[in-house]
Amino acid sequence: MTPSRILQQLPRSLHVSLENHKGSVNVARYAKGTAKYILTGGQDRSIRLWNASLGSEIKVFNAHGYEVLSITVSHDNAKFASSGGDRSVFLWDVASGVTTRRIAGHMGKIHVVEFNEDATVVASGSFDSTVRLWDLRAQSRQPIQVLEEARDAVQTLHVGSTNITTGSVDGHVRTYDLRKGELRSDYLGSPVTSAVPTQDSQTLLVTTLDSHIRLIDMTSGKMLNDFTAHKNNSYRCRACFGHAEATVICGDENGQIWAWDLLDAKVLHPSPPPKVHNKIITWTEHHPTDPNEMITASADGTVKVWRYSETD
Amino acid sequence: MSGSRLKRKLGDLGVDTSSRKANESFCLIGTPLPPLEKSKDTGEFVPLWKQDVRDEKGRRRLHGAFTGGFSAGYFNSVGSKEGWTPSTFVSSRGERAKQKAARPEDFMDEEDLQELKDSRVLVDTTDEMDFSGGNKVVAGDSEQDSIASALEASLLPPPTESAGARILKKMGWRLGQGIGPRITLRQRKLQDMEASFGSRITGDVINIPEDDEEGSKHTYAPRDTRILLVDRKDNAHGLGYHPGMGLNESLGVKGSNGPVGPKLAAGFGLGALNDADEDDLDVYDGGPNNNRRREAYDNVERADDENIVIGDNSGRSQKSQQRPASFTSIFRDGRPVLAGFIITNKPVSEDRWFPLPDVPKGWTPDPRRIWDKQQNKENIQKPAPSQAHGKWKSGISADERGSMLGETPLPSAPRSVFEFMSQKDRERLQKAASHTRQPPQGQGEDGSSSSMPPPRAPLPPDVIRIARTEPHIAQAALRGFQPFAADPTKQARYKVYLESQASQDSSTPSLKPTPGQRIDEFNKEVEDYAKAALLFKPMSGAMAGRFTSAAVIDHGPKIHEGLHTPSAEEIEKKEEEERQKAEDNISPKAHAAKISMYGPLTREIKPWQPAKLLCKRFGVKDPNPMPEAPADTPLATGTAASGSDVPQSEATASTSTSVFESSGTQRSGPKDLANVGLGEDDDQGRDTLTYERPEMDVYKAIFASDDEDSDDEEPAEEPENDTGENTVPLGQDQTEETAIKTPNALVELPPPDVPVDPSTFKPTFIPRDNKTKKSKDKGKEKERKEKRKKEKKTVLVSFEMDEEGGTVLATKPSKDRPKKKKRRDKGEGDDDDAMWVEKPAPNVVKDLPLAHPPSDTLVSPNGESADSATALQRGRKRAVDFL
Repeated sequence: MTPSRILQQLPRSLHVSLENHKGSVNVARYAKGTAKYILTGGQDRSIRLWNASLGSEIKVFNAHGYEVLSITVSHDNAKFASSGGDRSVFLWDVASGVTTRRIAGHMGKIHVVEFNEDATVVASGSFDSTVRLWDLRAQSRQPIQVLEEARDAVQTLHVGSTNITTGSVDGHVRTYDLRKGELRSDYLGSPVTSAVPTQDSQTLLVTTLDSHIRLIDMTSGKMLNDFTAHKNNSYRCRACFGHAEATVICGDENGQIWAWDLLDAKVLHPSPPPKVHNKIITWTEHHPTDPNEMITASADGTVKVWRYSETD
Repeated sequence: MSGSRLKRKLGDLGVDTSSRKANESFCLIGTPLPPLEKSKDTGEFVPLWKQDVRDEKGRRRLHGAFTGGFSAGYFNSVGSKEGWTPSTFVSSRGERAKQKAARPEDFMDEEDLQELKDSRVLVDTTDEMDFSGGNKVVAGDSEQDSIASALEASLLPPPTESAGARILKKMGWRLGQGIGPRITLRQRKLQDMEASFGSRITGDVINIPEDDEEGSKHTYAPRDTRILLVDRKDNAHGLGYHPGMGLNESLGVKGSNGPVGPKLAAGFGLGALNDADEDDLDVYDGGPNNNRRREAYDNVERADDENIVIGDNSGRSQKSQQRPASFTSIFRDGRPVLAGFIITNKPVSEDRWFPLPDVPKGWTPDPRRIWDKQQNKENIQKPAPSQAHGKWKSGISADERGSMLGETPLPSAPRSVFEFMSQKDRERLQKAASHTRQPPQGQGEDGSSSSMPPPRAPLPPDVIRIARTEPHIAQAALRGFQPFAADPTKQARYKVYLESQASQDSSTPSLKPTPGQRIDEFNKEVEDYAKAALLFKPMSGAMAGRFTSAAVIDHGPKIHEGLHTPSAEEIEKKEEEERQKAEDNISPKAHAAKISMYGPLTREIKPWQPAKLLCKRFGVKDPNPMPEAPADTPLATGTAASGSDVPQSEATASTSTSVFESSGTQRSGPKDLANVGLGEDDDQGRDTLTYERPEMDVYKAIFASDDEDSDDEEPAEEPENDTGENTVPLGQDQTEETAIKTPNALVELPPPDVPVDPSTFKPTFIPRDNKTKKSKDKGKEKERKEKRKKEKKTVLVSFEMDEEGGTVLATKPSKDRPKKKKRRDKGEGDDDDAMWVEKPAPNVVKDLPLAHPPSDTLVSPNGESADSATALQRGRKRAVDFL
């Protein structure tokens, strides 16, 4: 039907495995721009910068005192922010490898940090059920605003150009629309662990702990599609869109990488998919531009770079 | 001070101050005191050891260890000028020397005298009548013989004669006599003997000698009765307690009579002034029993202490006597006693042994019997121990005692609603109740008993009374509602009762008290049943048809005997129920989510106010700005609306008339306290500028001359001219900047070429903040920021504004018109600006590239002057408005 359906080439063959982390890897993010590099953060309190194609570790950022739970990279790749168990957001200078700022203020571990488009604001969602928006232009120690609507830990966060979307364990996805000045909260019934919007910000891919991934229409709050078959009941397994948003990819708690067609929600070819990680897959992220590459981070301590090969 | 001044004066006069004559001391006795000036308190810190006590005249008070308390006397000597001077004893025949006794006061200085005076406080300030004044002396002095005391008593009048004494004296009483009718000698002797023996003596015992015949002819006054003197109790001690009595003494044991207070270890170094420190307390002094000798060396009984006696300590006193024996003593088996030990006199008490009881033949241990007994005991109500407990302290309780003595019981806390009612209501209620229940008893009640609940006739406690229920009622009740469904045993008993009542013959067993139930409890229970039967019998006849009984009758939970362990099915069932319940309880939202009906049901939309700064960071206009002041002219808002988002707000801001309002638009969001004073604070220092301009009338009242009043009415025509001119640019399709500018220009900017009518023109002032803001509109984003900094600078000199306004307004009268004209002639150049704003405009503002279209003739090439002009005009318009 659509061209996206025709070229559903999934990056299924292992390109390189990044294994320097000790303990679970909680987050793996592509850099911005050409996205040659990967930043990973894990239980071992370190953040590692990798070359994705070579599989070589470039740098280790050590400053966290607790596990690293979230990383966000600024638009210019000059800095990134990370957060984790130590209840403060760390801002890093990539080149020098030191923290430029540590923003404390949350009462609990910070599950997610996210820059806005031009990295002037960083939003952090925490176990203390608040989202705090920090101004990076000023040296103020107080947040610009605290979003306290969530009734439970905030697990995921997306900062769009004019809105902020949060997903919380209380089962709500909340969209704070700055333009309209309104808050739309959608109840999904079970804890929300990740929420990834499409490029056009019209739909949202929401992962919940009832082993469902739902595509939600952000304007009306209606469910467009429901992706099931994988197992996700107790951990944050971040799902993502495949290339051109034609597919939905998610690693589950069995170490399998599932892929669905976006439109008919059918599980794509290898079904059930092979087990590629020993433990749960905590993070799946597709390369922003390259159609043939994606990365998965797992609790078994490895980050795997997947590429598409003709042999598949 | 005076001394040094004197010295200086002397030095001036040419006297050698260091010469011996100049420094001559006139003090012959003792050492001269240091000059008084030194004793003045200079307020400087002096270490403790250097501090000294001085009296009010500045003389030193304490001189070393042994002179404490007394100021040194005359010239630091003991003697004084008039006081303690040696005098010679002179006595002549003509003038006998009076033996002058030196009183202590003679040796006291004024401080001591003052102290003495202070200490002479009367012990008893109330002048009390002293009845026993004379007798006290007699009673007190036992050594004095009776004659002497009687003499003394008669000689010394009582210190104060009481009124009674005076009356008695008038009646013939004398001091030393007793009171009463005169008695015979015999009686008097009897009295004497009684007094001496302290007991009543019968008259037969004594025989009065015969030689007192003369004496028996007279009657005598009776002997004075000794008044029993009772010490006044003026302390808070208990009776029989003497202060300072030790614990043992108070218990009657003759114990230590040692000094009271903390026991101090013997030794030196404790002065009278020193408190007993912890260090000085003898920690080894173990209580009052320990009669330690307070001696430095305990050499006498050293040997005694070496003897260790097993047994009581009290045997110590006998030790010395026993000592010789101890040396020779041997045990009974012939071995000598160890040196230092003695054989005690007391025999070692032997353990007593009791023979085991004989176990009867054929007895087998059967603990069950005992357990059964105990079980029975558990069920039986045990009033006995509680009673025993109650009687443990006093035989009977206060209530019991009271009832025995026939006391009226104290009013206790109200127990029922009845006691809160008025007497009348209570009576009425009781009457009503007694009519229905027991008419005779109700009649018998009187007012006094009605204050309390009517005493129930004490029932014989051991009689079982089964309340009667009519058979038909019982039968109906059997069919009707089961009131005790929740308690199956009670229900069963209720049923038994009803059955027994319904049949009314002995065929059915009647209700019996349960084992362990007391009779009165049982009676009560049966009464309850009877009441319940009356209450819950089904309605009869027509009434019954009107109601339908509930479809489900609660029979109560099924009771299982024994310890309950829920089976797996039960648990499952329960869980199922709970799940069901939880499902029922969930909100429609959750329910919709459960059945994947996402959409409007699961969506909630609320208003949310993003922080102002957040909007700025995201480049979004504040969705809910604070309601801003309506723009001056509808035209201005119309043009402003055509502008793009961000500048629009500023354009509208510039249209608003007052500085206050324009700053208000900037602060539309909730003010972020975190940013106050920081570089990101847009409003920094702006608040300081927002002041209320006083009413125009105020200015007028102060500055305007009378002839100007007429002028003020004219400006009304001016706006018409202005708008006429300004419509021209508005009609064109303008760029954004002109659109922004037009509001400024709109506000009747006088055409620079047109000479201003001096009579109508009135100078006003505007805050400079406003002006810079307007120029800001012309600038680009970056320049705006710089300007903001400038703004902040101008803020610092914002006070000038007032002065300007003041001066300008002061020069308003017609005298100054030529000057103004001159200014007009000069044109709207920099002078114009300098006229109104003393401070030169910020450089940035001057350097601004002015991007106004050439067609806009209204704006002068120099933006600065145009701004000031517009500002001027705007201010002017306000003046018009005010008028």
